[in-house]
Amino acid sequence: MSVLAEVLTVLLNGLQQGAIYVLVAIGLSIILGTLKFVNFAHGALYLIGTYLGLLVTLEINVTDGKLADWGYTPIGLEWGFLPALIIVPILVFGVGLLMERFVARPFYDRPDTDQILLTFGLAIVIQEVFKILFGGQSYNFARPGWASGQVGLPIIGTFPEWRLYIIGITAAIVVLVYGLIEYTDFGLVVRAGTRDAEMVELLGIKLSRPYLMVFGVGAALAGVAGVVGGPLYAVNPNIGTEVLVPSFLVVVIGGVGSIAGAVLGGILIGETLAVMVAVAPQWSQVGIYVLAAVVLLARPQGLLGSEEVAP
Amino acid sequence: MARGEKADVSRRDVVKMAGASGLAGLAGVTGSASAQEYPPIGNFPIQGEAATFGFTVPQSGPYSSEGQDELRAYKLAVEHLNNGGGWVDSWNGLSGNGVLDKEIDFVSGDTATDADQARQTARRMIQRDQAIMLSGGSSSAVAIAIQELCQREKVQYQCCLTHSNETTGKNCVRYSFREMFNAYMTAQALVPPVTKEFGKDQQFYQLYADYTWGKTVESSVQKFFTEAGWSQINSVATPLGTKDFSSYLSQVPRKKTDVLFLDHYGLDGANSLSQAISMGLDKDMEIIVPLYNRPMAQAAGGAIEGVFGTVAWDSQIDNQPSNDFTQAFQDKYARIPSGPAQLAYAQTLQYAAAVERAGTFYPPEVIKALEGYEYDNFGMGPELMRKCDHQAQRAVPVVKGLPASEQKQGQFFEIVNLTPRDTLGYACDEGPAARCDLGPYE
Repeated sequence: MSVLAEVLTVLLNGLQQGAIYVLVAIGLSIILGTLKFVNFAHGALYLIGTYLGLLVTLEINVTDGKLADWGYTPIGLEWGFLPALIIVPILVFGVGLLMERFVARPFYDRPDTDQILLTFGLAIVIQEVFKILFGGQSYNFARPGWASGQVGLPIIGTFPEWRLYIIGITAAIVVLVYGLIEYTDFGLVVRAGTRDAEMVELLGIKLSRPYLMVFGVGAALAGVAGVVGGPLYAVNPNIGTEVLVPSFLVVVIGGVGSIAGAVLGGILIGETLAVMVAVAPQWSQVGIYVLAAVVLLARPQGLLGSEEVAP
Repeated sequence: MARGEKADVSRRDVVKMAGASGLAGLAGVTGSASAQEYPPIGNFPIQGEAATFGFTVPQSGPYSSEGQDELRAYKLAVEHLNNGGGWVDSWNGLSGNGVLDKEIDFVSGDTATDADQARQTARRMIQRDQAIMLSGGSSSAVAIAIQELCQREKVQYQCCLTHSNETTGKNCVRYSFREMFNAYMTAQALVPPVTKEFGKDQQFYQLYADYTWGKTVESSVQKFFTEAGWSQINSVATPLGTKDFSSYLSQVPRKKTDVLFLDHYGLDGANSLSQAISMGLDKDMEIIVPLYNRPMAQAAGGAIEGVFGTVAWDSQIDNQPSNDFTQAFQDKYARIPSGPAQLAYAQTLQYAAAVERAGTFYPPEVIKALEGYEYDNFGMGPELMRKCDHQAQRAVPVVKGLPASEQKQGQFFEIVNLTPRDTLGYACDEGPAARCDLGPYE
């Protein structure tokens, strides 16, 4: 393999790994930016997305947990991947609405530490519920049949098709969300709310409904990420936690509340991971924290974040 | 002989013995003859009516699936020891009425696949729960950490799933015994069927988990396959708990590599194998996963088709002990046991039987009852628990993954070869055993 091909492969790998973080981080970022709510349960929404995706897409054999005890050993709808890509976000959107109404809303005016404790606890509860229901074992989330092979790319050579789809799907969703936030009235209110919630309310706009929507959209994005990322790794109840920390780093690097920032941050994290693996595998995890630290020192508000207007 | 050695009683021993009888009197366990015969050591003599076993299994982390199945088997073993059933009915010495008239109780704890947490869990079991024996594992780093602690605390450790050469090599201890074979034997067992299938002159590449286990798999594979005429292109370490192996895998030179060894286990193994397949590496080269198991195969799905490896044990091994265990496990849990489960069950019963043979829970005597012991009741053919390094000399099952369409609940492999013990292993003064110094009995 030529050096160029190697470099391009690493970069493409990084782009793909970053894509999942982008999807999770956008939701995290707009919820944090608009609602000023630190949602540590966002990884749990990814977890819910993956398991729902697994159930809609495939039939799985449960050998562990309560579901198996109750006699539901083969479960799942076997409807394929595309239905999952539509159904799961809608369901997780619903979960997001419930979460906003009953978990987040009572805590908006409480300190960050309270929010962190609350949502962290909720994440653990959700994780344990899945563990009780499905058992702690790992499931194989098969790639969709139409994208299970490899494609030949110029210079690079073969690349797994599904990983290219992930980049494509992420790009499409990012464009969609960007359009929603930048070019709609809803987006205008959300953006204004991000800058200065008090002023928006003074202008007579009641923010509770947009807030509800923001939370729902953020949740749905985490759900999509769960479905899209499911076939990459074996599925088990810990995946939510594993995706949460890098996604927070993405938000920190990109800048809270900025969609472009989340994209940039996600790509940077993905590329850092991929490049570090190629250069010094043992330092790949450390690398992303160093990146975050450097960015925070140089630009505390994140690369594309704006300085706080509200006190 | 053991009693003979005790003839020259040191002053220290007298003090210990005085302490023991005093303790025994205080605790009201004067009925126990052994308490007076042997000095106290570790958690001996056992206080109270029940003997406590401590099971240290990973319930979180990359090896948690294996840990869950181990725990099921441990519970089954305790139930059988107390009430009969399973192997208890067919093994000499075991009564099904507890062990040496003591009821067996157990505690379990999460090692989280992490040596530090495992050490804490084990220490708690030894100090608070007064466990007389510990058993568990699923990571060699964890097993080695616990067995070192056990040697210090004079509590016996029955290794369960640990496959590093160092467990009974450089890091071996007197208080620990291993039924599981090691990486050295895995590589030896793999060479004949694999070189027969893929040819003599092959170039291989290795990715290995970067800790004691992965390192010994890597070095053993390199040693035995190079000796068989293959040549290694490169071997690359990957951190334990890596999820996305795509960057590592994309660096494997597709044109040059004939065989790719993925020296990963548990969830890591499932991920690396399925990602290798999704990248199409199997079209350019053969893939081998040196150590496999069922939860791992289940998580990797169809990706295991045609992939060679070894397993601790498989329910398809057709003989009386194997079938008895599978039956007992299925009756209790309505599922087919995995290799790690069989190990957990076997190790627990092996300890209990050794206690019965020794006629006491006094650890040095139990250890002597196991050292050099020959047995043929684990479903693995005739075995020897070697005295010099506490490593069982046994057959190693070589398997090949079934295609997704032929996989059934609990059945993921075809058994290629049950490599007999006399074609494997190494003498006490060579291989990993050469570096083993077991340490004192007391």
